Amino acid sequence: SFLDSLRSNADLAHVQINQNKYDLDSHGRGEGHHPCAPPSAILVPTSAHDVSQILSMCNKHKVPIIPFGAGTSVEGHVSALNKESISLDMKKFKKVDLPIDGILEDACIEVGAGVTRHELNDHLRHTGMKFMVDPGADASIGGMVACGASGTTAVKYGTMRENILGLECVLPDGTIAKCGTKALKSSAGYDLTSLMTGSEGTLGVITKVTVKLHPIPGHVIAAICEFDSLHEAAEAVATMRMCSIPVERCELLDESSMDAFRRYAASSGDGKFELGAENKPTLFLEFTGSSEAAVREQVTLTESICDDFGGSNFEFKADESERKTLWKARHNLYYASLALRKGATDAVLTDACVPLSKFADIITATVKDVKDFNLVGPCFGHAGDGNFHCILPIVEGDDDDYIAKIHKVNDNLIRRTIDVGGTCTGEHGIGYGKLKYLDSQYGEGGIKFMKELKKGIDPNNIMNPGKVVII
Amino acid sequence: MKILVGVKRVVDYAVKVRVGADGVNLKNVKMSLNPFCEIAVEEAVKLKENKAANVSEVVALSVGPKQCQETLRTALAMGCDRGIHISTDLRTDYMELQSDAVAKLFQKVIEEKEKDIHLVLVGKQAIDSDCGQVGPALAGYMSWPQCTFASKVDLDGDGLLVERETDSGTETIKVPKLPAVVTCDLRLNTPRYATLPNIMKAKKKKVDTYKAEEFGVDLEVKNKVLEVYEPPSRKEGILVDDVDTLIDKLRNEASVIQ
Repeated sequence: SFLDSLRSNADLAHVQINQNKYDLDSHGRGEGHHPCAPPSAILVPTSAHDVSQILSMCNKHKVPIIPFGAGTSVEGHVSALNKESISLDMKKFKKVDLPIDGILEDACIEVGAGVTRHELNDHLRHTGMKFMVDPGADASIGGMVACGASGTTAVKYGTMRENILGLECVLPDGTIAKCGTKALKSSAGYDLTSLMTGSEGTLGVITKVTVKLHPIPGHVIAAICEFDSLHEAAEAVATMRMCSIPVERCELLDESSMDAFRRYAASSGDGKFELGAENKPTLFLEFTGSSEAAVREQVTLTESICDDFGGSNFEFKADESERKTLWKARHNLYYASLALRKGATDAVLTDACVPLSKFADIITATVKDVKDFNLVGPCFGHAGDGNFHCILPIVEGDDDDYIAKIHKVNDNLIRRTIDVGGTCTGEHGIGYGKLKYLDSQYGEGGIKFMKELKKGIDPNNIMNPGKVVII
Repeated sequence: MKILVGVKRVVDYAVKVRVGADGVNLKNVKMSLNPFCEIAVEEAVKLKENKAANVSEVVALSVGPKQCQETLRTALAMGCDRGIHISTDLRTDYMELQSDAVAKLFQKVIEEKEKDIHLVLVGKQAIDSDCGQVGPALAGYMSWPQCTFASKVDLDGDGLLVERETDSGTETIKVPKLPAVVTCDLRLNTPRYATLPNIMKAKKKKVDTYKAEEFGVDLEVKNKVLEVYEPPSRKEGILVDDVDTLIDKLRNEASVIQ
């Protein structure tokens, strides 16, 4: 068998082969609603050379292989649709190339693909620099590249794509390829780094990434403001952009999200925000600058803009622990939302991104669908990017009708999104659940382009087959 | 109020420590500011930012090789005003320089170099030696009150009100008058990240260096380390495929269940 060939390869003797049932299960699921689809075995390589050998063997024997980072994907990225798939666990790739004296010369650092973003920032804690991309999960850097991840700071610092300079990856035939450089700009050849970004393990295995770093902001103020409608909040955000306010974070929560947020803040014992009596659409903002005066100016201008659009209870906090509490509650909104339905352990997590001018309409329409179908579905999003999520918790025992309605909400949302020129996924990726939307999003030509690339790089379709691009 | 903060350079907490012929291997190993000392620095800087405390200066003190200057720079970047480096090539991870000598060096600094210290803040223990003795020993030598394992420090009149964490609960201790020694525990605060502008400013802050021998303190070990070894490696476990197999082995092989 294939595993026997692996075992008899002396070069790979140190590579752990794990077939424990529980580990296989945990490697067959992410954090979305897709059913667990366990691989047949888990391999734990320790170097790019290991990965190269493993991939060559998989390619020769035509065995599918799925790279695995932290397992936090939400679109079924790691589901082993072919039962004989191998899971390639990248957890040993933990090297952080920080000089012994802790002084970084350039605002970038090379890390192993298995390093998680919190681990990275912990290594960097005395350097004055930080890796800014902050999706909700403590994902691995390699996984974040493969998924094209982003978080609340994208409005100022961009997504993963804008925060990496280069990477090393291994192609299905075992070739170890260097992509990008340490330079801040380059026009040298095809942009392979961007090609790998969002490729979801379908083109190769990422082993090392050179990430961009940014100075830890010196002065920070967080602010919240309530609005009477999502539209007015969205217009306030659009105006802020027109006034060139370099907002660091700009999140919009609907009434249902505010309900979840309040309950979480109340139960976790921290969180002292003077919000109004009822739940209203609320903007969560963060401003940074090189001096207190610079930040205050941004806050003052924003306050007057919010006021113009009927904003109320504008409140700002400079104290670090209070700010952290605010953002902790926002980051944990996924779990707070699940908690809105007693017994929910799973949810359909929507993700769509539209041009800013259409943002208010799209989120309002989804909130209306949720209400009309009588579902629990908090909606919140990155208002500065036009990207929002609706979390639709599922309880075991929900009838088919409820589940069908949940999927209809998502379907409606994506249809409307593509109609206005948006994308069916702003940051979560395609996995296999969203394959069906790519045709209408890109049309024949775009799909053909992707298929040609996939066929050229992975002709035997061993790299995470059944995801993103079908050949 | 003038504050003295002890900052120790130790193996970074995330490093997997290896033992060689002369004890723990320190070559090419990442070193950092001891986490409990970091908490002490944060507390000192918070007191400085508190107008009511009326802190005139925060001085950071480190004993060790020349790389301690980097550790001092981290403390300065977090907000300390000045640094003192007592230079020695003796190993500070208990192998050569031990707590009693360090406490005496601190005493000399307070008596000879920084004569008006009102408060000494140190970490509750260093993560390499785990002794936790410098704070209490220093208090003893200075005849000053001590509060160890502080999880909260508040100003109280001329003194302090300190909450002290123990295994059986939290004590509240009143220190009627300063000077005093306080050792800092995990829950006292969350240390700030130093920003780049502060790191650059720290390069210009003053750091005075003295040789450890200058102070006439007996630096000899009081406890001789006979042997350093890694704990015996765990016998390799096996992976079982399901709960039934696990129960079978627990019952019939390990004999730990009926």
